[in-house]
Amino acid sequence: MSEEATIARTPPTARETVALAAQVQRTTCVLAAAVLLGALALPWLSASYATTLAIEIMIGGIFASGINLLLGGTGLVSLGQGMFLGLGGYGIGIGTTVLGLPLWLSVPATLLVVAILAAGIGAVCTRTRGVEFLLITLAFSQMFFGAAIKLRLTNGSDGMSGIPRPDLTFVGLNSDNPVVFYYYVLIVTIFAVAAMRRIISSPFGSVLAAIRESERRAAAMGYAVGRYKIGAFVIAAIACAAAGVLQAQYTYFINPDSMSWQLSGEGVLMVIIGGATTVAGPLVGAAVFVLAKQGLSIVTTEYMMFFGIFFMLVVALFRNGLVEALKAALWSKS
Amino acid sequence: MQVFLTQVLNGLQLSMLVYLLAAGLTLIFGLMNILNLAHGAFFTLGAYCGVVVGSSTGSFWLALLVGPLLPLLLGIALQSMVLQPLAERGRSTHLDLALLTFGLLFATAGAVEWLFGSAFLSIPTPMALSGHLDLLGISYPAYRLFIIGIGLAVAAALTFVFDRTLLGATLRAGVDNRAMVTALGVNINALFAIVFGLGAALAGLAGVIAAPLTSVYSQMGITIVVETFVVVVVGGLGNLRGSFYASLIVGMTNAMSQAYLPEVEMFAIYALLIGVMIVRPQGLFRSVERVA
Amino acid sequence: MSALEARHLSKAFGGLEVISNLSLTVPPGQRRAVIGPNGAGKTTFLNLVTGWLTPTSGHVLVDGQTVAGRPEKVTQSGIARSFQRNMLLEDLTVMENLRVACQAVHPCRLVFWRSKQAFADVIEKAHRAAERMHLTDILDVPVRHLSYGQKRQLEVALALCSEPRILLMDEPAAGTSPQERARLINLINGLPKELTIVLVEHDMDVVFATCDLITVLSYGKVLATGTRREIQDDPTVMEAYLGHRHAGN
Repeated sequence: MSEEATIARTPPTARETVALAAQVQRTTCVLAAAVLLGALALPWLSASYATTLAIEIMIGGIFASGINLLLGGTGLVSLGQGMFLGLGGYGIGIGTTVLGLPLWLSVPATLLVVAILAAGIGAVCTRTRGVEFLLITLAFSQMFFGAAIKLRLTNGSDGMSGIPRPDLTFVGLNSDNPVVFYYYVLIVTIFAVAAMRRIISSPFGSVLAAIRESERRAAAMGYAVGRYKIGAFVIAAIACAAAGVLQAQYTYFINPDSMSWQLSGEGVLMVIIGGATTVAGPLVGAAVFVLAKQGLSIVTTEYMMFFGIFFMLVVALFRNGLVEALKAALWSKS
Repeated sequence: MQVFLTQVLNGLQLSMLVYLLAAGLTLIFGLMNILNLAHGAFFTLGAYCGVVVGSSTGSFWLALLVGPLLPLLLGIALQSMVLQPLAERGRSTHLDLALLTFGLLFATAGAVEWLFGSAFLSIPTPMALSGHLDLLGISYPAYRLFIIGIGLAVAAALTFVFDRTLLGATLRAGVDNRAMVTALGVNINALFAIVFGLGAALAGLAGVIAAPLTSVYSQMGITIVVETFVVVVVGGLGNLRGSFYASLIVGMTNAMSQAYLPEVEMFAIYALLIGVMIVRPQGLFRSVERVA
Repeated sequence: MSALEARHLSKAFGGLEVISNLSLTVPPGQRRAVIGPNGAGKTTFLNLVTGWLTPTSGHVLVDGQTVAGRPEKVTQSGIARSFQRNMLLEDLTVMENLRVACQAVHPCRLVFWRSKQAFADVIEKAHRAAERMHLTDILDVPVRHLSYGQKRQLEVALALCSEPRILLMDEPAAGTSPQERARLINLINGLPKELTIVLVEHDMDVVFATCDLITVLSYGKVLATGTRREIQDDPTVMEAYLGHRHAGN
């Protein structure tokens, strides 16, 4: 190895590491504030097309954040999170159009049912790791997908329509208005991101990180690793289901495609693009993904094939994602 | 009794079809620790190649011979030109490679859709096998017996190669200690590429064989691949013998539930998977103990 | 009542019996060394005690009660272990490694709605653990950047974070420099007298400087147990394990 390379690889001193961390922190705060301001002002700054894209980005961001709690947070790669997104959408679909329950009842009930299901599914899936875990989550997801197509309750492959948006008439607003819906989704997204951030920086979150680094060490330390994994699985499921609820409300509609393996794959791709090591990563990844998908669909109808190639390139070349690449760029400048 | 026997044979036939796919997948994983999520793509490609050859030459047997060739070549190419270099670079973990093949799954599903459209195609059953055979008091389609025969033959051949030949021993050694085997002068990369190709070819063979029974369409790889995953997990990832027995279990479960409990037919396999995961997460037939 | 007792412990992997009919007793507060050549079964013995392996037959008893069986339960019941090969949380800082280790026996470990920084007593414990092991200078460094010796120190430090009653150490001196070894000896000798220590080691300097009693394992069985003098005078042990340099000292 050349001398320059050796010098470049000298590990940082403690002081350098602390200084870098502080700098990254400052930059992150500034960026986050800028994004937030931009998000708040968006409907006034641009055409309605940008607003709809932003809604899709936020829904994708919540979905990807859920996936990342497992992937980046705990080291569990699940290819089946689409099932929870679908369950979220179908949950309120069934709750409102079949059972006739109001939204303020359907949504919490859906999330509760999803949490219980996730606890059961998680208990089975977390008995495996690595690629076996990947396969089992995929298998479960396919099972729900098949059920959604076959069951009369879910209206088969036609899907369920007429799913209502929240009734905001008590504050004099109509959520069918795209701008109003945009702010509704924005508020939910801010809450979801803040909650995710708090969970990751909590003692529970720190144990997930330990499990990711070394499951055996975590067990040796005294943690009941299995229970933590199930906990992470449940929280991730709730986040993905919340994204599903928003998605169903956004399009007033849900069908089995929202539970497909393609959708799970898209979510994982969002995380990989943005980077799994930060809270912002999944959001950045969702933004890049949605924008790229829009751009791609203008150019070609063979979206799936190019998406697959794009996926492979990202996995092969940008393993740590965009946010890490930006951080590295920051470091090399200092 | 006759109905039951028919179902047993149906189950056997389903088992053998799934086994051809599962054997390839578990072989690739066991030897190279690569989970090829795009395995279904080889199945689909084999079927489509078979359709092309079959419709242009009119010969099923030619389709059977040529069909697996494209998957074979693609498998070798994929392993030696994409997966191997990435694994050696050290930046990609096994999980990364699995995700890469997941992307490949998207790409091939899209490509097949693009090239062949969404029409349903087919290969006609060959004349020699289109009749029925009288067996144990029932009349059973000869073609399905043919499938059973091929499956058993492949199982026997694989077991023979892996347990009793030098090639098999070399491959097993290469999994255990790749560096050592390379130091002994064996070109392990070439071997791995060939094995990957072989696994892909088996999937392609399954595609051609399945074509006369089911339709050939762009999504055909997806359904059977999920069943394959269940077989591979139940049998134990990397366990060739285990995947044979697991194929039998899954195939029989499928057939029996189709016949006797059609409402739960779809869930039967998943119930099996869940059951196995609860009782023995490492697969029913694995015998390795996990140690600190 | 003994702190740690193995009763007719056996462990077989298929046809290979790695531990056979092993019995030993360690009274509370004792510093016991377990030595023997590679393959004698020392690490397997530790794995059996800490729940990573289940015995084929026999029992492990701690304070008279059979051991829990899962590693996390073993740690929660007061037994801690450091590993032969470093098993650290590589991408996290030294401080975070220690903090997570100390958190494991703290009731806050299931909290997911408050920041981990809110629990000052856990952080305080981590700082004290760092001081004890001379790691305060490198608290903010990610573990992957540490030297091997520093990682070894952290490995031992993590085991102490759970405030154990019994500490098992698997070759803590392996690969360390003479200064680090001296520091290790001082550390072990400075630990609370109530703490029972079982030390698996190859380095006889460390063993003689810290341990009251030595058990010699060979092929999964106890060959001899005794003081330094007794072991050194035992011809079978001397011949096989100590070599001629220590003999007759």
